Amino acid sequence: MKTRSITLYVNGEAYSLNVAVNRTLLQVLREDLGMPETKYGCGTGECGACTVVVDGGKSILACLTLAATMDGAKITTAAGLEKDGKLNPIQEAFISEHAVQCGYCTPGMVMKSVSILAKNPKPTEEEIRRELEGNICRCTGYVKIVQAIQKASEVMASTR
Amino acid sequence: MSSRILPEFDLLVPQSIPEAVEMLGKHQTKAAVMAGGTDLLVLMKAGLQSEYVLSLSEVPGLDYVIYDPQDGLRVGAMATLSQVAENADVKKYYPALWQSACVNGTPQTRNKATVVGNILRASPAGDCCVAALALGGKVVLQGAAGKREVDIDNFWVAYRTTARQAFEFAVEYKIPAKVGKSAFIRMTRVDQDLAKLNAAVCLNMAGNICQGARLAVGCVAPTTVRVQKAEELVKGKEINESVLNEVAAAVGAEVTPIDDVRSSAWYRKEVSGVLVKRTIEKACA
Repeated sequence: MKTRSITLYVNGEAYSLNVAVNRTLLQVLREDLGMPETKYGCGTGECGACTVVVDGGKSILACLTLAATMDGAKITTAAGLEKDGKLNPIQEAFISEHAVQCGYCTPGMVMKSVSILAKNPKPTEEEIRRELEGNICRCTGYVKIVQAIQKASEVMASTR
Repeated sequence: MSSRILPEFDLLVPQSIPEAVEMLGKHQTKAAVMAGGTDLLVLMKAGLQSEYVLSLSEVPGLDYVIYDPQDGLRVGAMATLSQVAENADVKKYYPALWQSACVNGTPQTRNKATVVGNILRASPAGDCCVAALALGGKVVLQGAAGKREVDIDNFWVAYRTTARQAFEFAVEYKIPAKVGKSAFIRMTRVDQDLAKLNAAVCLNMAGNICQGARLAVGCVAPTTVRVQKAEELVKGKEINESVLNEVAAAVGAEVTPIDDVRSSAWYRKEVSGVLVKRTIEKACA
């Protein structure tokens, strides 16, 4: 087949799409669904800018995923984290800890953080750094990013 | 050719193993089999053309990692590196494979990339490849006529070439039980880079005496290789400093590395023996 009819659940909304089979999930999110928050960085799995979360906790790279093979998948992007107009604690922490410089890596960093804390609500600094290995920040603001994830972890623990 | 846009192809999405076998039998070399896609899609963005891509994503029952104390470990074609890295039995009984799965790629690629895919890629730098060669075991291939098993020792026949026939797909990699003490170490320029050198060992120990060893090295030949002269040096011996130094001195003569972007032939020849020595020490620790 050259095209495939699929249903994607993005940030809780169902989208019925007929996608060309050679289109990546990243292209479909950005270009077909008009959701530019997931970024194109390298396109070859090196940088993590296109990180999205599947099924509530698993981080994957949208640039190395064929949309046609994701029929029925539940995808969360950075724009899907706020609830009732209120930012997610991870987003709040990225702001309060000044973990954003140019901002290009930020949606991927935030989505990676979602998957880190979903798997391990109280990660050590070492664990955070290991898990962030696939996300590149060329402003090199890693210290603030690590601090933001630690802050979010504390906030989420106290409100749980 | 673009890192943004994939070339055109026809997608095949079989819903069962028999359907996958039938499709592969029909298209053979025209079809590229895709498990996680983290490697294939990068290759295609770099210019690899394939008329068909056969995705295993909807074939049920291939994403298992099963350990049995008698039969050993079975890793299904769709089992990801993350699944292997999170498996307590792999960590306990096959540390070389566990350690390789923990560092291969990045957390995101490990959530999709598979151990079987890493073995099939047949790259001499594959982290799971060197672990698999040290641990031994077999790749299970399935075609229309049924299954056959190929020893990992005979699986890589040349650079990026395997014993898999075009009409077969790899359903499983399996390792016997009680393979012995094992470990893996790799060297990279930066953490998530491909290895410039990697090594894995598996030692069958009786007390302090090594009854047999499989010593594997990557990035030093067209395929991942065993250094069998070095294996002979530890066989029947107590693992001590002088034996380890003999091994370290012997490995370089057995390997045929090249210069490339990640390292030089000279460096690889000099250092591979030390890496094997340290991997043996790690396995025995």
